[in-house]
Formats: sequence, structure tokens, C-alpha cells
Amino acid sequence: MKDIYILAIETSCDETSMAIVKNGHEITSFTVLTQMDTHSQYGGVVPEIASRMHTENITMVLEETLKKSNIKIEDIDAIAVTYAPGLLGSLLVGVEFAKTLCYVYQKPLIAVNHTIGHIYANNIDNKLKFPLLALVVSGGHTDLILMQKDYQFEILGSTLDDAIGECYDKVARVLGLKYPGGPNVDKLAKEGKPTYNLPKPVNDNTYNFSFSGLKSHIINLVHNETQRGHEIRKEDLACSFQIIAVDELIRKVELALQKTKVKDLIIAGGVSANKHLRQETHKLAEKYQISLNIPDFKYCTDNAAMIGAAAYPLFLKKEFADFTLNAQSQALITK
Amino acid sequence: MYTLYIDTHYDKIVIVIYQNTEIKIQKEIDSHNNHSVILMPLLIETIKEAQINLNELNQIIVINGPGSFTGVRIGVTIAKTLAFTLKIPIKVMSSLLIKALSFDHEKVWIGEREKNGIFIGKFDKENDLIEEYQYLKNKEITNNSLVFYEDIEINYEKIIKYAQKLKEINPHLVNPLYVKKIEVQK
Repeated sequence: MKDIYILAIETSCDETSMAIVKNGHEITSFTVLTQMDTHSQYGGVVPEIASRMHTENITMVLEETLKKSNIKIEDIDAIAVTYAPGLLGSLLVGVEFAKTLCYVYQKPLIAVNHTIGHIYANNIDNKLKFPLLALVVSGGHTDLILMQKDYQFEILGSTLDDAIGECYDKVARVLGLKYPGGPNVDKLAKEGKPTYNLPKPVNDNTYNFSFSGLKSHIINLVHNETQRGHEIRKEDLACSFQIIAVDELIRKVELALQKTKVKDLIIAGGVSANKHLRQETHKLAEKYQISLNIPDFKYCTDNAAMIGAAAYPLFLKKEFADFTLNAQSQALITK
Repeated sequence: MYTLYIDTHYDKIVIVIYQNTEIKIQKEIDSHNNHSVILMPLLIETIKEAQINLNELNQIIVINGPGSFTGVRIGVTIAKTLAFTLKIPIKVMSSLLIKALSFDHEKVWIGEREKNGIFIGKFDKENDLIEEYQYLKNKEITNNSLVFYEDIEINYEKIIKYAQKLKEINPHLVNPLYVKKIEVQK
């Protein structure tokens, strides 16, 4: 069969990224332009600034991506873009850009769900083996998903309140850590001990998660201690928080492994870069004798390579979008 | 010589295709805040109706604001991507300039109103900008004795003639003109 090349575009948050992906898993060219330094001045992503920077940079990122590749844009088979979920203004820049490229070069357009992109990041260096259990953990998601086959998703459980990444960022904020908070909490936790006694999130037998109680407890704890003039042992608090939060994830994954009997576990989303989570899931995989897939660090955070990987099955099924494609801030993966 | 003109700075989308300095086809649609669904299909349809091929376009003119942030961003993103990929010149004009050059005047303040305020700019007889663009909130307008001209019918023949003297811009550097500061930057 002829090789299939997909140019993928991702602008759902604060990274302008493009990749040329061969046959759904071989990354032949890859560019990520992050706006992290800009947003860190404001303590978090400012949506309007993110959209502005995507418009400023988008044609330059394309030029760079093409320069790094042996493939000419005329020889690309399809153009894929993240259309949801994410920041609406940011997504729109990518969507309009992708439509324009499809018009100029007469290529089919593929609309990719960002969350599905994170899952398919595991199809780049490894192969997804069905049935599988996917833990999707990011700033917007905490989902346990069962996949019987390609592009078939059954959500077993989700967070009832905050996403795990959101919780990490809040904790980072009260600890006075810089944006992006999650990785900084992870780093600091390594220097500490779990000396703080924090409440365990709901201990039920569903696959759902809850992080808002833990988050509020930490915010109150820091507030009260500061008022009493007590010093917060930041690294200990980061460590205590991280152990409880990751334990909550692991407990539910273990429950799902026992019930579903899948042989493959994958971790997806920005929080899959978390070192403690990686260690704990490795232990779990050993205990249950299953294979574990976590994307390479560069495919954990938002990137276009994973969008190209997720677009490939849609290309094979000829599921193309038309020029009325719109961005959506929310979208279910089980539509 | 074919020129594509795109204006998406407000609720209305305007696309014009000029043959030399003549209007070959002109489309105006009220998109009701739905630019992203309407603009590309409309652009494709307009080019088809003009009976030209996309690669016959010689130049692009885009209105880069001020106006609706998202509206302008959609038009500018499409326009700069077209110019970059088709390797043709692109020129920008502001939403205030196209009003100024649509009628004869001496020194004049031009206004472009939006929900919470107005974008203003002062132009001379030759339509050169003589005071930087500003944004006034509604409550600031009432305290202000300036007289703005805002309801002006755009003269598209004058736009194409004026565009001839504008400089081309590298497509990478074509960006919206926001004028209004956003909360965190204040």
C-alpha cells in the first residue's frame, strides 16, 4: 500500500504545533512553538493572548515544519486539525488555517478530537492493543476509558468535579510555584516527605474521581497556617498531595483492571508526563502482568504528532470534514 | 490582474473580487457571529462565481481591524495563509481607513462602534492617519466633544484605487490591529 502522509495542526491551547505523520505513527517532521513564557507572566493561560499568538505564528510554524521535511505539501494526502475541545479562540485559528490549506492544495480535511489525540499518542512509538484501558489525565480531563477496538470509546468513569491537572495547577498556585504548575509540583514533591495528613478522596466502588475536596483542604491548610504564622514545608506538602492524588488515580485504574480484565493499559494527556504517576502505573502493570504504554514526554503535552496519529484511522475510513467545520470548546469522544 | 478583498471585522462578511480596478463580484453576508462556518464556503463560492481559478489571484487585501477580535482573526488568518501559500502580495487596510477614504473630507475623526465603545482615528484630507487609533468606552464618549463620522457607506472602487499605493507586507507579519487592550494587560 502507498504511504499516507498527514499534515496535522494543533492549536487548542497555548502551543502552536504541526507535524507530518506517515502512516499514522512515523513522525517525519515535528514543530511545537510554546507560548509558555508569555503566559507564565500572568500565572496561567490567557485565552485572548493565546489566540493572538497562534495567528501571529501559524504560517511560520508551517514554513518550519515543511522545511524540516522531505515531503512537499502538494504530496500530502490529507490535512488534520484539532477542532475540539479547548480554547475556542485558539482552536478557531487552527481550524480556519487548516481549511485554507485544504482549499489551496485540494486536500481532504480531517477533524480530530484533542482528547482522542492524547490517546493515540500511544500509537506513535507503540501499537494500541485492544481491548485496552486508557487513563486520560490533563488540565481538562480525568477519564477512564475502555476501548474494544479502534475509535470505539466507553467512558467507565470521570471526575465529578476538578480535573487532576487543574487540581495540580491550583496547588502549585497556593504553594507559590510558577506556571506551568503541574510539572513544578512533581519536581518539588521529590524533595519532600508525605508528612501532611490529607483527606483521601471518595472511597467508593465507582470509576469516578473527585479532587475538589483535596484541593480545598490544601488551600485552607495553607491559608490557616500562614495566618498562624506557621511556615509551610512546601516540598512536604507537594509530596503529600501528589501521593494522595496519584493514589486516587491508581486505585480506580486497579478497580477497572480487575473488572475488565484488559491486557493493555495506556496513560494519556499532559499529566501522563508526571513521574510519580509513571512509577505507580509501572508497579500496577507488573502486579497485573499487563502491558503499559505511556507516550514519550514530547508526545504527552499538547502536540500535533498525536493529532496526525489520531487522524489516520479517520483517513482510512474516509471520514472527512467539510469547509463548514467549526471549533468547539467542548466535545464528547463518544459521539 | 485579480484582487481578493476580505473584510470580517464585524458581523458582516464582505468579499470582493476585483479585475484590475473594476469590481467583478461582490458578496456581503450578515454572518450572525458565525464567521468560521460561513467564510470559507462563501469564499470558495465567490471565486467559483467569478469564474477564476484560485491560482489566478494576484493580490489580497484584508481588513485587519479594529473590530471584533475573533472576527478579524478569522479573516486575517485565512488571508495571510492564502498569501503565503499562493505566494502573492498581501496588503492590509484598517476598518477606519476604508471609511475615511469612502467620502471627501478635510481633517476628520472616524469611528467604528462596537457594543461597549468605539474605535476612533483621525485622518487628513489625503486619508493619512494623523492621530493614532484609540478606543473609547461608551461612558468616555459622552464626556467627549469630538464629532465622529461612523455611518459611512463603503466605496469599494475607492478602496482598490487607494490600495495601489499601499506597501506589500510579508504574510508572516500580517496581524490583526486590536487597539483595545485586554484585561490582564492593563
